Amino acid sequence: MNLLDYLLAHPREVLTLTLEHISLAGISVGIAILVGLPLGVAIARRPALARMVLGVVNSIYVVPSLALFGFLFAVPWIGERAPRMAIVALSLYALLPILRNVCAGILGVDPAVVDAGRGLGLTDGQILRRVELPLALGVIVAGVRVAVVLAIGIATIAAAIGAGGLGELIFRGLAMVNNSLIFAGALPAALLALVADLSLGWMEGRLRERV
Amino acid sequence: MAPPQSSAPAIALRGTSYRVPGGPALVDSLSLEIPVGATLVLLGRSGCGKTTTLRLMNRLLEPTAGDLLIEGRPVKEWDLIRLRRRMGYAIQDVGLFPHYTVERNIGLLPAVEGWPAVRIRERVRELLALVGLDDSLVSRFPRELSGGQRQRVGVARALALDPPVLLMDEPFGALDALTRAELQGEFARLQQRLGKTVVLVTHDLREALLLGSQIALLEAGHLAGLYTPEEFQRTSDPPALAYRNAFSAPNRGTAQPLPPPPRRSGDPA
Amino acid sequence: MPGRASSILALALAAAWGASACGGARSRPIVVASKNFTEQAVLGELLAQRIEQATHLPVERRFYLAGTYICHQALLAGRVDLYVEYTGTALTAVLKEPPLSGSARVFERVRGEYARRWDLTVLPSLGFENSFAVVIRGDDARRLNLQTLSQAASHAPEWRLGVGFEFMERPDGYAGLAAAYGLTFREPPRLMDLGLLYRALQTRQVDLAVGNSTDGLISALGLVPLEDDKHYFPPYEAVPIVRTQTLHEFPGLGAALEALAGRISAEDMRRMNYAVDGQHRDAADVASEFLRAHQL
Repeated sequence: MNLLDYLLAHPREVLTLTLEHISLAGISVGIAILVGLPLGVAIARRPALARMVLGVVNSIYVVPSLALFGFLFAVPWIGERAPRMAIVALSLYALLPILRNVCAGILGVDPAVVDAGRGLGLTDGQILRRVELPLALGVIVAGVRVAVVLAIGIATIAAAIGAGGLGELIFRGLAMVNNSLIFAGALPAALLALVADLSLGWMEGRLRERV
Repeated sequence: MAPPQSSAPAIALRGTSYRVPGGPALVDSLSLEIPVGATLVLLGRSGCGKTTTLRLMNRLLEPTAGDLLIEGRPVKEWDLIRLRRRMGYAIQDVGLFPHYTVERNIGLLPAVEGWPAVRIRERVRELLALVGLDDSLVSRFPRELSGGQRQRVGVARALALDPPVLLMDEPFGALDALTRAELQGEFARLQQRLGKTVVLVTHDLREALLLGSQIALLEAGHLAGLYTPEEFQRTSDPPALAYRNAFSAPNRGTAQPLPPPPRRSGDPA
Repeated sequence: MPGRASSILALALAAAWGASACGGARSRPIVVASKNFTEQAVLGELLAQRIEQATHLPVERRFYLAGTYICHQALLAGRVDLYVEYTGTALTAVLKEPPLSGSARVFERVRGEYARRWDLTVLPSLGFENSFAVVIRGDDARRLNLQTLSQAASHAPEWRLGVGFEFMERPDGYAGLAAAYGLTFREPPRLMDLGLLYRALQTRQVDLAVGNSTDGLISALGLVPLEDDKHYFPPYEAVPIVRTQTLHEFPGLGAALEALAGRISAEDMRRMNYAVDGQHRDAADVASEFLRAHQL
């Protein structure tokens, strides 16, 4: 059965797995943004702290993704459910590009603009909300874009520990040496990543040009 | 905004110093009084401490010694935000918010102060007229404006809350000579109309003579002399004399260089 | 280079090449493969060590290949020389023939077809069967008083099933089992690496798992295998499968392997599996211990 036949014969299954995949990647990036945005703002003003935090987050990349899933087995509560492990691991991987870009985006704002704002009497909070974050948004979205594509890719491995998603089709295909099955999983995953990358890229472009 | 209450000077420095930890004093025991309604020019070469002095006035920097009084009250007793909003701030790079239109740039402080939208719009139109800009610019973005237009918007923005004091750091420095002359002239007329207390930082003697009611010549963080424009032209004090010479000699390499500034206390030997 | 030195070098190179050409057929290692679960790694070690000790031939190990089909393909391509398969799997999953009953019948069918289609030799059984074991948690078995799959079928709609990737796809796998017992679960099965199935069962991520009957952890974790009362699964005798060509190439190999026939009981296998999975011992150590104990 070739790829197209498989997709046509099992549309609901592929759709369910795709939605599962989107959910794993989406929730993880969401968490990474919730953590990375305030953390990035906090360390942007403290270079020594920034180096330390970025160093720690970077070291997560040293751990291969499957091994990271393995480490999480031992963690109480998280290690008891495959989707939880997957989401924790994916969030950690998605954190670095977002954190780095929040930092870079804020530091990249023209210092004259921030100085003018401060001198005129805007509070730090007002400067952050009205000046720095809007101006850093293009760079931040660029970081989210990298994080999303990363999460979609690594989420395929999550199937090995039972978290579901399109990786399931890939692993089933590998067990049977069945290319159609492998592609039935890999192709939608690649398409998801492509669509996400293009739409976020468009958004990034629009944000950058208005500054 | 309410005018200052007492008859105290608008701004007073008493032995004010600013020293970077482990470094030289950028401002060294400066004493100066700026009466209400005066235009004080902080004049000097690069590195003399004039910008630092300005930034001490709205607490962008904190004095490390001495007193600094705004409207008679020590600068540390003021609520920081209230202090800064009572002082307009205009800098050389202007620092307009690039993602805001001209209208939102000028109207930001009023918006933050909670003014109703109608009042903000009126004020913006009023200020644009004041700085000589056409109404049609309200919906433009800073990147669509010329250097001179941007500088005018910067001044309008600084005046938005009608502050009694205006702090300006080389506001016309980044412009070509013609535009600069034009804006200087307009600003002089504006000053006469508004009667605000202005502290203007510049290295340009001609600008100082044109705009200032008082000129404070700074050298290596010290006050080398305080003059009216006429006094500055006539005095034989060496620092002022040297400054005049540097500006009057033709610009063809025969100009006399200014003598090197005297050592600051704290400079490494 | 001066004339004499260069001729000596040429001579030396020729001699070396000649020597290697002569010993060519013997100098390549025998490659033993295994699938990706504990028992296969232990069996792989047993075979590899047996060959090393009996024939003193070099052996290379390629363990944890990702499943039946990968092993089969590697065997056909000559990338590996032998691995341990299970007769039922060979019949239904590899040969893709309908299931038969009776160990001997299945064995004969498999042996004949493997030789005919692919020139592969199926050696006699090692002495045990490893069937699929459909297991549930001990407390569920006691509470609901379940011993057979037919009894459990009525509870399936409330349960989640956990299986490996291969079982999901195989002809003798999920689809056939569900049809034979009329199993309908509330959600599609949860798929994961085989090694994680029992843990998922324990932590209640799944309620029913399809593992292997000789897994050491089943009794250790208090899990209960349900009886295949409808005899859906064919027999799965453990048999070494070798490339016939390899047997010709290494004359002592066949005899060395046949000495293992019938020497490993199901209980032996379970104990060895538990030593690795439950006691975290090394598969190679466990295998060598067995070989020594049985004077192999």
